[in-house]
Amino acid sequence: MIRLRAIQQILQWEWALEYRRSNGWFLPLLFAAMVGYLCSLLVREPSPTVWLALLWMTMVFSALQTALRSFAATPGQWLYLNQLVAPTELLIGKTMTTALNCLLVTWTSLALFSLWLGWPHLPEQMGQVPLWPFVVSLSLGAIALSSTLSFTAALASKIERGTGIMAVLSIPLLLPTLLIAVRASKLALLGEPLSNLYPNWAGEILMAGLPLALGALLFPYLWRS
Amino acid sequence: MKAWKILGIALVGYSLFAGLTSDVPRLVILNETIRNLYFHVPMWFTMIALLGASLAYSLRLLRSGGDGEPLNLERDRQARAFAEVAMIFSLLGLFTGMVWAKATWGTYWTADPKLNGTAVTLLIYAAYFILRSSVDDAEKRARLAAVYNVFAFVLMIVFIGILPRMTDSLHPGNGGNPAFGSYDLDHGMRLVFYPAVVGWILMGWWIASLRVRLDRLTAQQTPS
Repeated sequence: MIRLRAIQQILQWEWALEYRRSNGWFLPLLFAAMVGYLCSLLVREPSPTVWLALLWMTMVFSALQTALRSFAATPGQWLYLNQLVAPTELLIGKTMTTALNCLLVTWTSLALFSLWLGWPHLPEQMGQVPLWPFVVSLSLGAIALSSTLSFTAALASKIERGTGIMAVLSIPLLLPTLLIAVRASKLALLGEPLSNLYPNWAGEILMAGLPLALGALLFPYLWRS
Repeated sequence: MKAWKILGIALVGYSLFAGLTSDVPRLVILNETIRNLYFHVPMWFTMIALLGASLAYSLRLLRSGGDGEPLNLERDRQARAFAEVAMIFSLLGLFTGMVWAKATWGTYWTADPKLNGTAVTLLIYAAYFILRSSVDDAEKRARLAAVYNVFAFVLMIVFIGILPRMTDSLHPGNGGNPAFGSYDLDHGMRLVFYPAVVGWILMGWWIASLRVRLDRLTAQQTPS
């Protein structure tokens, strides 16, 4: 049984800790901005494929930072949170806050990429491509990333010196999500009709829901100790 | 020696002999490399069977530690050993596949969905072993590794089972290329292929259970 009240308490907790009392939320954004600027220095006028690949690399590593932060708390804070909510509620609440932070990172990176690297040059005859399917593809992909990453971040937080192992544990598990998300965003960027995008969006939603459901089942075993 | 071990030796021996000497269909491009079906494909069947066993042991480990009772660490040894041997078979499958790909596709490696699936499986289980080696406490290691094993197995199945069907591939069995579907596998080849699959699974099981025994004896000799 998942209580909405508990989820709300986690969201309030995050809001108080990450946004009001410290500048924790700013760190992944700053990371994304730095990587984006680095890309703009290293590559000039990239092709759409390279542009998209750089954007996704920026997003993945910023999302890793975001997820790592979401499970970084002092033992005292964990003691308090664990009395407040059940393990499954904790995972769902943390996944929601990670997803929101990842969306923030995604939109920021997109804005900075279009500012510093410019919009990728598409063939002339394609005309005007609407922006919103591309943003939807990216956003769904960011949510899918955060649902896998929240679980691996929780796992890594149980290991001493676990921050280093986090990337190694996560990246192979992210490959299916990334392949679907990159394809969805590429099709959207190249102005494919929406009917070709729907299956890929469904795939992205599946890759957001499946790790979350699996994580919710496994999380009580992980958190017991 | 138990009967299933003798059966395993007999089936693998038969498939090695018959696989190299029996008649096979003459097909363009494939030519004699079609015999790789007897050696390459059983490796993947064995890998999946052993990984499935590893998953089952991980699930049983997680169910064992309830209500203050200690975790059953024997299940952890089994889960690890089966995953280890599965990775050996995965490497063997990869190498037999690469040799075949060089002969038919002209390259050792392409960005084919099947090859990506193999690469991701190897990476996932490499991470599983890294995870194990970075936790010192045996109970904690057993629990964390089991949780990761279950989580990773499901995502791996999504990757190797569902994604390849969404894209085209040069690999036999995809995009109209012949493989061991009901309509394009020669009857004579079936008589070698299925025994090879069963034989290699039995051999893999045997190797893994030896590994478990060795681990158990080592654990008894060095009391924690």
